[in-house]
Amino acid sequence: MRDASGPDRTPSEEPRLTTRRPTRRRHRHPRHVLAALPLAVAGLLALTISGNALRPFERITTIDGKMASKSDFFKDPEVQRLLLKHGIRVEIHRLGSRGIATQSLRGMDVVFPSGQPAAKLILQRQQRSVRTARPFVTPLVLGTFRDYAKTLVARGVARPQKAAGGGDTLYYDLDMHAFLKLIEEERTWNDVGFRDHSRRSNGGRVLVRTSSVCESNAAGTYLSILAFVKNGNQAPGTERAKGAERPASGDPVLGVAARVKPLINLQGMAADEQADSYFSDEGESIAPVSLVYEHQFLKHQVDHQKKRGEQDDRRVLLYPSPHALTEPEMISLGEQGDRLTDLMESDAALRRRAIELGFRVRFSGEDGTSEQLNAYLREHEVQVPTPNPDQTKVDAPDLDALERIINHVGSCRPPGQDDDE
Amino acid sequence: MSRTGRRRPEPLLALGLLLAAATLTGCTKDKPHHTLRVLASPELADVEPLLEDLEEDTGVELKLDYKATADLSGPLGPYDLAWPASDRSYLLRLQDSGTPAARPESTAIMRSPVVVGLAPAVADRLRRGVPGGRLSWADIADAAADGSLRFGMPDPRRSDTGRAALVGVATAAAGTGRALRERDVSCDRLRGFRSGQTLTGANSRDLIDTYVRRQGAADALIAHESELLTLNAAGKLKRPLEIVHPEDGMVLSDFPLMLLDAGEHKAYRKVVDWLRRDETQKKLMERTWRRPVSQDVPRPARLREEIGNALSYPDRIAVVRRLMDDYGAPGNRAADHVVFLLDFSTSMRGRRMADLRAAFADLSGADPTATGKFARFYRGERLTVVRFAGRVLEERTVTVRGDGDLRALNSFVGKGGFAADTAVWSALGRGYEVAAKSVADHPEQPVSIVLMTDGENNEGRTYGEFTRDRARLDSAARAVPTFPVHFGEADAKALRRAAAATGGRMVDANSSSLSQAFKEIRGCR
Repeated sequence: MRDASGPDRTPSEEPRLTTRRPTRRRHRHPRHVLAALPLAVAGLLALTISGNALRPFERITTIDGKMASKSDFFKDPEVQRLLLKHGIRVEIHRLGSRGIATQSLRGMDVVFPSGQPAAKLILQRQQRSVRTARPFVTPLVLGTFRDYAKTLVARGVARPQKAAGGGDTLYYDLDMHAFLKLIEEERTWNDVGFRDHSRRSNGGRVLVRTSSVCESNAAGTYLSILAFVKNGNQAPGTERAKGAERPASGDPVLGVAARVKPLINLQGMAADEQADSYFSDEGESIAPVSLVYEHQFLKHQVDHQKKRGEQDDRRVLLYPSPHALTEPEMISLGEQGDRLTDLMESDAALRRRAIELGFRVRFSGEDGTSEQLNAYLREHEVQVPTPNPDQTKVDAPDLDALERIINHVGSCRPPGQDDDE
Repeated sequence: MSRTGRRRPEPLLALGLLLAAATLTGCTKDKPHHTLRVLASPELADVEPLLEDLEEDTGVELKLDYKATADLSGPLGPYDLAWPASDRSYLLRLQDSGTPAARPESTAIMRSPVVVGLAPAVADRLRRGVPGGRLSWADIADAAADGSLRFGMPDPRRSDTGRAALVGVATAAAGTGRALRERDVSCDRLRGFRSGQTLTGANSRDLIDTYVRRQGAADALIAHESELLTLNAAGKLKRPLEIVHPEDGMVLSDFPLMLLDAGEHKAYRKVVDWLRRDETQKKLMERTWRRPVSQDVPRPARLREEIGNALSYPDRIAVVRRLMDDYGAPGNRAADHVVFLLDFSTSMRGRRMADLRAAFADLSGADPTATGKFARFYRGERLTVVRFAGRVLEERTVTVRGDGDLRALNSFVGKGGFAADTAVWSALGRGYEVAAKSVADHPEQPVSIVLMTDGENNEGRTYGEFTRDRARLDSAARAVPTFPVHFGEADAKALRRAAAATGGRMVDANSSSLSQAFKEIRGCR
């Protein structure tokens, strides 16, 4: 059996062999095959008697799931191994979370949007009550690079978190009010002093590169941070509830959306797979600041430690303040999906693995979601972040308000929900 | 069995086969040999030799049809997958079509920036003229305009690489640091740049083939870094091209594999997983010189070079269309003729005149800024200067063939004498006479008029008389736009009216400078 933990091994080799058809190889070793047949039968008999190798004969169920960045979890070879123990293989259909919510779910067993807004949209569409699981949370963060973080610190926009031992920190707190001001003042990175902190130069505008607001949870959640900040630290759409006069000029939600729109649109075409490009070797050239999730960054740092014996000092995180936590939710669409959803909710090994992949896992009966993650990071010599030092949290707009903001900012097309996509 | 199995010691191989054999009979029927039809970019022909390994390892055969256009237009029905250099143009088209079709699943396979390959001697010469020696698109445009650089670029209308190059150059020319908007492309700032284009092709493969045959026809090629490295490695060039990653940014292609037929998801997943594993990524890199998406593939020095900053890509198809329309058919576009009507009334004496001289010097190549390099006079362009005061004083026309022509024009402007009064509309009338002759003699040449004045009309024809005269011109001459430059005590309202009547636009030089105002007009139609 080969080591299943290599970076791009797909499901561990053993069950694959059960279905694998050698294409040309068959002609190359026919004698081996023939000679081995009796042996194989004998061997399998022996294994069967020993009682723990029935798996090759057990039916492996393939579960089709539409998901976005949380496919990271199911791409992990260890998670795949754990699921195979339960006879489950997950076939990932990669799509943005809001894209999942607005398109046909035909043929899917589960969906796993990366956050609550998309999950709620999907749940609204279900005709019956469905099983769901919310196994972990993770903050939305901005991935950047050392020279850019230093530039922001020098501008008084970001503040480094203290690293134990006094080394270079991996984490910075970002004052979103001040940061948005830089964007609104149409500053380029060179304008804000980038060249003082780097041997490179960058005439591009200060901006955050996001995936499409029409399709992704991360971009939608980022929009809710922007809307909250631009609305005087208040969730848009709550003004009426608080008895405030509705402005004569019209809809307050659209008013905020109009102010937020230019902050997003100056990037032009949005790009999928922010993490994929952020962590690539070309990451710093592709975008100085990208929208990613904390778990993606922590996993990268742990992997970097394992592979190279040191943290990746070039890539650093900005924790926006106010901050937004995202809560992915697995939603089952049928019996097969129920099995996986139940496992996600209850299987201790999967939850343990989620921590190792950088997620903040909720355990009932324990205080926080972070202690086990912090312990894991310390054990792997990765600096432990303080994700939300001053506890300012974005009150997300309600679903309807957020939808209107998203549609306004992204000029999103009406949902397709075409049945033959 | 995976390929790696072959390298294992024999006992392991036997064991593997043993298990495989044991289960072969039961499961073969689930996984028939599978063929996927792929609409691919012509430049991906270099991955073909690896596809045999793919088939051997996964049982999936890819049949590549190298007919992909820039935005995958044409019937997609026959294809299961698409594999373009980039999905940007396709997504813009999809967005524009208004149909709420699901966007296909898409996975980046390799990356390569659109860059410039320069003949070494030319690269050295250009670098000497640039502080710090880091070349930008603006420097390329500057050298193209003064005739010292001839380049080849694929046709932006047909090739995705050409389109990426065009968007990159135009974004650098706009100099806003953000994605292009419609207002940023309302002026065609690429005329000087385009004047240096001598080679083109329907796609970058065609372009490179042409260049290999006619290496004397260009000093530079604009294409993917990967194609230029491949070309250099092939040894077909007398001197390998030096690869320059322009300082003011580039457009990056990521060669996404797209799933067109959702029913083929399983096979698609297999292919993507195979293409993205380290072993394949390494082979792709070695064979094609594209950069791996995997973080764990060690790279040769040439693929560790920094690629500069990626430029934002516009999110409106109208912006890209406007750029392509303005750029026109490569190498097949006549140079412009610009008629400058310059006010030499006595009020222009002193600082105002100094400002005018500086503006002409800047347009002749003295402006070191990026926008200046894009807006400058260029080789082949025809320039007429009409000096006027209470009447037309003097007139000179040059076609720019070299620095000498520009020096002559500058001295004509610089040494001109002043006279009393301001005959704005008589001057403009003369401008249209020049334009009418130009249009008649060279119908293919775009003509525009720049009218600079610092005072109100107090002599010669009235505005009404001017419009009557203009109405008598034939339609082609009437269509010539006038761009008035408002300076000093000029009558902004009257100038704005003239601009509106002729399809031009008024620019105010009082808030900036004449140089700034001329730059703003340059290229506008």
